[in-house]
Amino acid sequence: MQAVLDAISLGGTYALAALGLGLVFGVLKLVNFAHAELITIAAYIMVITNDLPLVVSFLIAALSATALAVLTELTVYRRLRGTGPAIMLIASFGLSVGLQKSFELIFGALPRSAAVAPWMTGSIEMANLNITIASLVTVGLTIFILLAMGYLVDYTTLGLQLRAASADFKTARLLGVRSNRLITSSFAISGVLAAFVGFIVVVENPQVEPMFGLNITILALVGIVIGGISSLRGCALGGFIVGFILSVLNTYLGNARVYAYSYLFMAVVIILLVRPGGILSKGNEMERV
Amino acid sequence: MAQDSFMASEINKSFGALSVLMGVSLSIKPGETLGLLGPNGAGKTTFINIVAGYEKQDSGTISINGVNLDGMKPDARARAGVARTFQSGRLFAQLTVAENIALGALGLGASHNEAQERAKNTIDVLGLNSLATAPAATLSHGNARLVGLARAVAAEPKYLIMDEPAAGLNESEVPKLLNALKVIKDRLGCGMFLVEHNVGLVAKACDRVIVLATGILIFDGAPKDALNDAQVKNAYLGDAAFGEMI
Repeated sequence: MQAVLDAISLGGTYALAALGLGLVFGVLKLVNFAHAELITIAAYIMVITNDLPLVVSFLIAALSATALAVLTELTVYRRLRGTGPAIMLIASFGLSVGLQKSFELIFGALPRSAAVAPWMTGSIEMANLNITIASLVTVGLTIFILLAMGYLVDYTTLGLQLRAASADFKTARLLGVRSNRLITSSFAISGVLAAFVGFIVVVENPQVEPMFGLNITILALVGIVIGGISSLRGCALGGFIVGFILSVLNTYLGNARVYAYSYLFMAVVIILLVRPGGILSKGNEMERV
Repeated sequence: MAQDSFMASEINKSFGALSVLMGVSLSIKPGETLGLLGPNGAGKTTFINIVAGYEKQDSGTISINGVNLDGMKPDARARAGVARTFQSGRLFAQLTVAENIALGALGLGASHNEAQERAKNTIDVLGLNSLATAPAATLSHGNARLVGLARAVAAEPKYLIMDEPAAGLNESEVPKLLNALKVIKDRLGCGMFLVEHNVGLVAKACDRVIVLATGILIFDGAPKDALNDAQVKNAYLGDAAFGEMI
C-alpha cells in the first residue's frame, strides 16, 4: 500500500513538473530547461522562510517562482521570439546554468537545509497499514492541482486559448488572441506549478542546492515526450508514468536500484516505438484539418 | 465616400521586379457583399493578405470607418473588425466545433459567456447543431469550410473576408454555402468580401463585383454587367456560357 502510494505520489509530482513544462512548450514550442530553477528557487525560499507559517512560506515561494518565470519570459524569451527554436533552446540552457550559478552566489554552493513541514514526515495507521503523511498530502495535493488545472484548461477562456495556441499558435494569434498575454500567463502558471513541485520535493529532501530541480525537470521532459508533447493531458500523463515507474523500480529492485534509470529508459523506448508521437498524440487528426 | 465603410486607396505592391497590384482602389459599404474575381496571378490573394495585415503594401492606405489600418498586425486588424476565413480552413483539430467558433469571439475580447452565446447562436443560424460537440478533425471538407466561416462570423466583424470558401466543395455543398452567406448578410449585416473562382456563386451572393487582371482593377459594377463586359471576358471569363454560371 505504501509502495503504491509512493508511486502515485512521485508520479503526481512529475506530472505537475511536466504540466508546467508542457504549458510553455504548447504556446512557445520552447523546452524551458530553466523550469528546473523555478523549482529550485521555490525550494530555497521554503527552506529560508521555514520559521514562518507553512502557508505564508509557500505563498512567498510561489510568488518568487512565478516572478522568476515571468521575468525570464519578459527579459530573455520575448526578446528572442522569432529567432528560431535552436536559439531559444540554447537560451534556455544558458538561462538555466546562469540561474544555477546565481543561486550558488546567493545561497552558497553547499546545500541549505531545514525541515519544511516536519509534521508531514510522520506516519499514520490506516487499515493496519503504516502510511506516511507526506505521501497522503502529496497525493491529495496533486489530485487537487490536476483537477484545478483540468478545470482551467477545459472550462475557462484562458484554457481554451491555451489549447488553441498549443495546437496552432499562429492561427490563434490571427484570430486576435493576445499572444504576449497568453505566453506570460503560461509562464506564470508554470511558476506556480514549479512552486508546488518544489514544496513537495523539499519536504522529502530538505537539502536544497543550486541543481535541486534539474533531475526532476529532465525526467519530466522525458514524460512530456512519451505522453504526447502536443497535449497538456499527454504531458501530465507522461510525467505521471515516468514518476510511477521510477518509484516502483526503486521499491522493487532492491540493491539493483542503480539500474532503475536504465529500466525506465528502456520502457520509454518501448513506448515511443509503439506510439512515436507519444501516448496521447493525435498526429493524424492534425494532418486532416 | 461615406466614412462608415471599408476603403482601400491606391494600393501598390511589387515582389522584386514583378508588380502584383497597381493602384487598386475600392470601397465596401456596411452590409454590402463584394465579389473579387480574377485569373490566377491577378493579385487577389495578395490584396486580401494586405487587407488582413499579412502583407504590407508598398504604397496606398487601408481604412475602416476612417480609421487607418496601415501598420496594424493581423491580430490588431482582427480586433479592429476585420475577420477572415482561410483557404486551408485552419481549424483547431482537437477542439470541438463549438470551441472553434467561440474562439472567433474570444479573440476579439468577448467574455467567456458572451463567446459561448455567440457560438451557440452562430451554430443555430448556420444549422451546425448536429456538429457542435464534434472535434474539428472529424469534419468533412465542406463542413470544415462552414465552421471556418462560422468562426469568423462569431467574431461579429465589421468586414468579413472570405478566401475561396467554395474551393473543394461538391455540388451539394455550394448551395449550403450560398444559403449561409445570405443568412450571415441578413443577420449580421457586415460588409463581406468574397474572393472566389466560382463565378456562379459570386453572381448569386454578391451585390457588386470587381475584377482584377495582372494587378489592375479592370471592372467594378453589378455581377450581371461583369459577365457581359468585354474586358472581363477577355481577361478572365473567356467564352463561358454565362447563363449556366448564374
